[in-house]
Amino acid sequence: MKRPQVLIGAAIFLIALVIPVFVRNDYFLQVIFRLFLFATLGLAWNLVGGYAGQLSLGHAAFFGIGAYGLALLSKGASPWLAILGGVVASMVAAVIIGSVSFRLRGPYFCLATIAFAEVVRLIAKNLPNVTGGDVGTPVPSLFPQNTMMSFYYACVVLTIAAFAINAWVERSRFGYYLMAIREDEDTALSVGVNTARVKLWSLLLSAAISAVAGALYASLFLFIVPDPVLGIELSVEISILPMLGGAGTLLGPVVGSLVLETANEVFKNIFKEAHLLIYGILVVLVVLFLPEGIVGTLMRKLRWFKAAPPPAFAATPPPGPAEESRRVPLPQPE
Amino acid sequence: MDWLYPFLQAVLNGILTGALYALIAMGMALIFGVMRIVNFAHGAFLMLGMYATWVIFEYGHVNPYFGFLAAGALLFAIGMAVYAGLVRHVPVQAEFMIILLTLGVSLISVDTVLLVFGADYHQLNFALLGKNFRMGQISLNAPWLISFAIALLAAFALYFFVMRTMFGRAARAIAQNPYSAPLMGINIHRVQAVTFGIGAAAAGIAGGLLLPVFYLYPDVGHLFNLKSFLMVVMGGMGSIEGAAAAGLVLGVVESLTSLYWGNEWALVVDFVLFILVLSFKPSGIFGSQRA
Repeated sequence: MKRPQVLIGAAIFLIALVIPVFVRNDYFLQVIFRLFLFATLGLAWNLVGGYAGQLSLGHAAFFGIGAYGLALLSKGASPWLAILGGVVASMVAAVIIGSVSFRLRGPYFCLATIAFAEVVRLIAKNLPNVTGGDVGTPVPSLFPQNTMMSFYYACVVLTIAAFAINAWVERSRFGYYLMAIREDEDTALSVGVNTARVKLWSLLLSAAISAVAGALYASLFLFIVPDPVLGIELSVEISILPMLGGAGTLLGPVVGSLVLETANEVFKNIFKEAHLLIYGILVVLVVLFLPEGIVGTLMRKLRWFKAAPPPAFAATPPPGPAEESRRVPLPQPE
Repeated sequence: MDWLYPFLQAVLNGILTGALYALIAMGMALIFGVMRIVNFAHGAFLMLGMYATWVIFEYGHVNPYFGFLAAGALLFAIGMAVYAGLVRHVPVQAEFMIILLTLGVSLISVDTVLLVFGADYHQLNFALLGKNFRMGQISLNAPWLISFAIALLAAFALYFFVMRTMFGRAARAIAQNPYSAPLMGINIHRVQAVTFGIGAAAAGIAGGLLLPVFYLYPDVGHLFNLKSFLMVVMGGMGSIEGAAAAGLVLGVVESLTSLYWGNEWALVVDFVLFILVLSFKPSGIFGSQRA
């Protein structure tokens, strides 16, 4: 299998699985937990934003619905069932959000996703009887001993699952449809891709993964308030990670999360209140100098690293001379 | 008739707020119309305008109703610098890149202000604040009225500048067709830089006018940022008169929502309105979308 990105990813995950054997510092594990949590979110975003090119700025909604789903539904059911409920709720939200926003393109799509996420956040804030409002609401623990270790492993497994889904999408017909939509939606439509349905499926997948990540996050901290789990800052972070790493590449979101979350943690410790300033400067620098992201730029620079998927439709028609005969002759001038 | 006076009062308050909204939205619509840029730093520009006016008031004892002019000039310079230093170097097609870029600018501005002035809330304190005009059961706050009048003037000035001057014509030509405009001898980068500056200045002036009637904290722009998206979309993206109309409508709708449902639902209504407009008429309710 000539997919260096999969191999590198597998190596990263192997290391991640071994780390707790050597390191038992809870702070350190929590930092890496966060790193993989955001890698998961970045991978989830990548399905919609990277492969399908639908640049959502509202992914906090799915994350937050997953978190609140666990918190609210577990009052009547076991936490694991509650997570499932949160995932279903998040997918229902994805259907609603997708059915409106996917009809829009470019900046309109972006703004629509922001608007939906803000509505969800404001509802969570304004219904104190249900969600606890600004005060927040307690979340049950998923694991009996509630150790950092179990959360850490749960998160790494979730990231591996998200990575596997991305790896599958990148080489599946479904994924080729998504990439065709990213490259040229009208052309994709005209050759028979049901763009509306394909985009919606990608959003559903993405929402489900994000919701599980949200539940995991909420359960670790045992308490959630609306702004951090539903705010636009979170949506921005979820979309910046894969952009930094390389949107539409398999390894991009993971690398982006490794770089950005490590930088975030270091900045927070060194610069204290100035870390957002540094963060902003980093975003500006990425846009100006690395528009394809770290992995995207590397892929272009190093040929051996080239794991780029074949052109959108190369996989469908059989190769060989049949290709030649199907070519429509150009009209000749008389 | 008990319902009438609160209703009228709310509508009037809404119009007063709406004029400021209109000015903010016009700046954004101008930038979007000419450059197709969704400016996520617009709220930060507004916040900078408020802080500039506040600093001038606190340390130079200049009345904010003169200070807003300085805020406008400062933001004009900042806007030009942001365009020339950053926005210009990103290809226009990369819409999301520009969104990220302006988000970055916004983060930088907000955090710089936070570091310099701290996270405290501030409010202006001068004699005019307590004054109200009473007409029967309806009362109007004097600073709001003055801010309203100046915002209205500024909005009209902006409108005439874009519609009646040679510069405005050049800007609109770029909005219509960015490829043939330079062929007609328009210096596209200079016009866009000035347009970006004017858009930022409109936000800065609105910030200066908002200062006497609002409170001040580093993240204040965030709220107005999201609202200005709504107004620009409602107005038909790129139409500045549409954005102005949308600003007035939004002001009244918010004010009425606050009256009947409570303040916390006003923003929800905003976004629901936004989603409705996007789903049924993304080209905007007022004015048509300029190509």
